[in-house]
Amino acid sequence: MRAAFSEALVRIAKADPNVLLLTGDHGYALFDDFRKECPAQYINAGIAEQNMVGMAAGLARAGFRPFVYGLSAFIPVRVVEQIKLDVAHDKLPVVLIGDGAGFVYSHLGTSHQSTEDIACTRAIPNLSVYSPADRFEVTACMEMAYHSMAPVYLRMGKSDRGDVHSAVPHAKAGSLLEAKPGKAGDIAFIATGSLVCTAMDIAAGSYPDAAVWSAPFIKPIDRKQVSTLCARSRAVVVLEEHSVLGGLGSVIAEIASEFAPVRILRVGVQDRFSHHCGTYEYLLKEHGLDRVAIEQRICDFLKENKALAPVLHA
Amino acid sequence: MISQTPTFDTKALRKTVLDMAYAGSTVHIGCAFSIIELLAVLYRNHLRYPGNEPRAAGRDYFVLSKGHGVMAQYACMRELGWLKDEEFSGYFADGSDLKGLSDSRISGLEVTSGSLGHGFSVGVGMAMGAKLRGTDQKTYALVGDGEINEGPIWEGSLFAAHHELKNFMVIVDENGFQAMGSTQEVLKLGSIQAKFESFGFEAITIDGHDEAAIDSAITQLWASDSKSPKALIAKTVKGKGVPFMENNNMWHYTRLDPETYAQALTAVAGSAQ
Repeated sequence: MRAAFSEALVRIAKADPNVLLLTGDHGYALFDDFRKECPAQYINAGIAEQNMVGMAAGLARAGFRPFVYGLSAFIPVRVVEQIKLDVAHDKLPVVLIGDGAGFVYSHLGTSHQSTEDIACTRAIPNLSVYSPADRFEVTACMEMAYHSMAPVYLRMGKSDRGDVHSAVPHAKAGSLLEAKPGKAGDIAFIATGSLVCTAMDIAAGSYPDAAVWSAPFIKPIDRKQVSTLCARSRAVVVLEEHSVLGGLGSVIAEIASEFAPVRILRVGVQDRFSHHCGTYEYLLKEHGLDRVAIEQRICDFLKENKALAPVLHA
Repeated sequence: MISQTPTFDTKALRKTVLDMAYAGSTVHIGCAFSIIELLAVLYRNHLRYPGNEPRAAGRDYFVLSKGHGVMAQYACMRELGWLKDEEFSGYFADGSDLKGLSDSRISGLEVTSGSLGHGFSVGVGMAMGAKLRGTDQKTYALVGDGEINEGPIWEGSLFAAHHELKNFMVIVDENGFQAMGSTQEVLKLGSIQAKFESFGFEAITIDGHDEAAIDSAITQLWASDSKSPKALIAKTVKGKGVPFMENNNMWHYTRLDPETYAQALTAVAGSAQ
């Protein structure tokens, strides 16, 4: 994923000299190629994220196309107001990259873990929120972010979870991407970022007729597609390495409640910080986001659901 | 529009501010009055807008980072013909465009301000953009002395000095007050000039109501051979021009009534230039 990100950034910057990369003193080796290929378009703004985002707005007003890079805990969470007021208010074409989202920095504790960033950004008008799951979605998201000419927050989480797709998808803005086909009337998985692979593993092992959809676009999102998907499913399981408050689970629940009511299990971080540190896999377990724990939750959820008649819509 | 050829007469600008503040029954009069002379000199002698177009390519950038003084800027924009008289008489009417704090969707206002410490960084970005493009555009960011409590001012100052943004000038409206009291009481600033100098700026302190001094200081700073960003520290009086408002922080918040409006108009009409 990170290689795809770097390749896309270099390709976009080489084709457009107005593209600038601003980093808040992060991404050391990640930008080796960029610094070599586009040295004049590289700005290390120092450990000063608020100023960096404000400057990106000024550069965009002067006709540049800034890509602002930081860790997701800082870009966007530390600079939400700069994003709102300096960037999004006037739809300035600034792409904000938040790397290491979720529990990537599993040993470093709360300061570097980021499970509020989607919730913090999706209420900001004019701002799109992307959350790619694999290298192909990263490439698609980067191209879409560049061509949108509008503010985008691109969330990058755990990057080595393997491929979901076999090629760069032809994605329309807002569309969910089918990762595994399923049958109408069964359950459907909708996941984003690192947990799309988990959803595919669970479906392949335990729910062969369930569809798995990846949601690389949290906002805007194709409401019709989500509604259709909810309407044809017995129940929906949403998975994300983010708080269950305000993330993809909330997005799907909001749409479903209005257009296609269906029972929805929101799998994510249960409104709490990590207690301990350890490997990435350890932290997923601590939060009940490992495959075994998720399978158990789905099992319990479907049992609770048994008493209810299937909610099927035409 | 007041006149075909703008003069930026400071009595007229203050009258415009009073008229709109009264029409809109709004606050922040003191914040606007401390920067009247600064804006008059900038718009009259320094800011370049090709074709008198507020969004002209190649224009100088003037960023009112302390958005609370926006009525002073509206008054200047009226002289330039960028705003219509109705926008002043109908200030704060339901559905009107001019807000109590600056909104960048209004042509002539470069940033959306009111939350402090934002415009400075946007201005640094504009100056960096002009430097990267190799244009001769200049960027001014006008900040309040209370505003420089904000951290991004100092983040941006490090950046401006490091990148030798000699096309960037911060103007500090040192009126000595912020929302809840004097800057001395709330958060001591010490020497603002020394602070910016220590960050690598070339700085001058002047009387912010002396138009000749403002003009020559700006000219002198731009004429410098150094690669440093510039800082103009303007010692000002909050509420300048109306004796009962001067150095009276209540006029950060107080609204005009018929009596104070009439008294203020009389004071402004008779005030020395």
